[in-house]
Amino acid sequence: MPQIALHNVTKTYKLGSQSIHAVNNATLVIEKGEFISIVGHSGSGKTTLLSLIGGITNPSSGTILFEDKDIFSLESDLLSEYRCEKVGFMFQFASLLPMLTVRENLLLPTAFSATKGQGGGAGQKAAALLGMVGLADKVEAYPSQLSGGQQRRVAIARAFMNYPAVVLADEPTGDLDEETEMDMMDFFKTMNRTHGVTFIMVTHNTDLAKQTARQIRMHQGSIQEK
Amino acid sequence: MSDRFTLISIALRNLLRRPLRTIILVAALSLMVAALVFALSFVMRVNASIQLTSERLGADLLIVPAGSRGAAEDILVENRARSFSMDRSFIDKIRKVDGIDKVSYQTYLVTLTGMCCSVPESMVVAFNQETDFIVTPWLKNKLGRKLQRGEAIVGSESAYNISLGLVNVEGKLFGNVFRMVGVLDKTGSGLDTAVFISDDNINDIIQNSKADIKRDHISVIFAKIKKGANAYTIMSEIENNIIEVDVVMRKDIGKSLLNTLGDISKIFYLTMVLATALSLFLASAGCASLLNERKREVGIMRALGAKEKHILRLFLFEVLALGTVGSIIGIMAGTMLSLVLAKSFSILKNLPVELGMGSRTIIAAAGLLFGTGICALGALSPIRRLKKLEPLFVIKQE
Repeated sequence: MPQIALHNVTKTYKLGSQSIHAVNNATLVIEKGEFISIVGHSGSGKTTLLSLIGGITNPSSGTILFEDKDIFSLESDLLSEYRCEKVGFMFQFASLLPMLTVRENLLLPTAFSATKGQGGGAGQKAAALLGMVGLADKVEAYPSQLSGGQQRRVAIARAFMNYPAVVLADEPTGDLDEETEMDMMDFFKTMNRTHGVTFIMVTHNTDLAKQTARQIRMHQGSIQEK
Repeated sequence: MSDRFTLISIALRNLLRRPLRTIILVAALSLMVAALVFALSFVMRVNASIQLTSERLGADLLIVPAGSRGAAEDILVENRARSFSMDRSFIDKIRKVDGIDKVSYQTYLVTLTGMCCSVPESMVVAFNQETDFIVTPWLKNKLGRKLQRGEAIVGSESAYNISLGLVNVEGKLFGNVFRMVGVLDKTGSGLDTAVFISDDNINDIIQNSKADIKRDHISVIFAKIKKGANAYTIMSEIENNIIEVDVVMRKDIGKSLLNTLGDISKIFYLTMVLATALSLFLASAGCASLLNERKREVGIMRALGAKEKHILRLFLFEVLALGTVGSIIGIMAGTMLSLVLAKSFSILKNLPVELGMGSRTIIAAAGLLFGTGICALGALSPIRRLKKLEPLFVIKQE
């Protein structure tokens, strides 16, 4: 049984009288523990594909199975649980809540989790993750006190807080310098190898894509395996 | 590193993030709640005063000279000094009416400072100690004996006004020296502001002063009716047979005051309805703007696994915190207003009843319910809209 399976998934946006197929009849099978990169031009549907897998936007047609369950047949609360317990998100933009400290931003997903909540060493885990991304000294800082790259690393650490089965990373190293970018890639690879976390990473950086075991190219909403 | 982190802490941080907006929202709500608390205090105090006067009167019917009903209520409910009179012969006529059990009477005189009397302007009530059932229960309790000629006992408020506080001092009333033999306990009625003397003294007063009362005149007759008798029938019979008098039933005491206050109350109620509508609109608009600017945050939280109920709770915490703080400030301001400003309202100034802790608690609870309820109601619709939005749609909109 594959961990994730997309069958003929289409996502259509209405723009006035025009219909735009952001993802067009996509079929994809992903096994547990894979490290996949998705490349393609801007507007080719990469972010939408990631969002569909993460359950934050509904497909117009087709099914998306996670461990054989159609995630969009789930009730709203169960779909939220899927996002909280199974998926770790790294967004394309700065996604930290400005009124929370770095520590609180990391603890945020645990506030929504019924099973991986607080009191079970969440604070220690947050500290450990911040150490791994090189921000151990920024625990009590607010996002406005961090650089763009530091904010990005906090968001990377947050994606691992609830022990996700899949990490969906949308250009996760976009704001990082070359050295930090490499450090983060090493971190991803370690998490993938040692914890069996599945990685699906959107990137424009072909060098990074080449480091992944499987590459997918998207063109006008369609998937083309390399 | 601490593990403690709750939705409440996010809500509180959000409120502190925009202190000016938070202060404006709290201030607007405080004003609404203060207006409600003031209006409720006003209406409840008037109603309580009328009810208490009626309960403590001890008579079923009040018979006054025709046209003097309002003046009688001024004395009984509002503690205003008034003088009016009718012929004493009406006492016997009333006593003979079918269904009347007991009859007593009082004569009201108004002192004039410096002209006749050594006390500030107040009511002097002359009552018949043989038939009285209005003052005597209070007198027995305090003095334990009847008043002698030349003796007076004062109501608790009069004692304060006259600066008596003490007994066995002398005061001049209508050219006669009276020994003040005691101070009545607070009754919470018109009795509190009067000076009481036995009606044996009336002839001396008429003889020695220019008191505005004729010999053999009285001001009011109090009647108790027999058990099972119909008060309406008796009232009709008296008014039909003795056209020189007006009859007021116990339950109707204060009606003319209520009619006077009716328009004021209507204005208060109308103001409250408008204030409620306005505050609902304000709360909705405030919450809508508050939520709109945080759409992306909601989208991020939803993407990180927040359920609809988490979003609902988060924003409800926020608006309820606003509502609670605004209500508490409003309750305190409204209560202060009702205590301080009420002294400027001549109607309220003379009312015998001050609101007790119980009534104040009820008003405060109503204020809190109003303040928090308005916030919750105003926020509900924007919150519902937001929590239903697709996370990606919300995130991409920004």
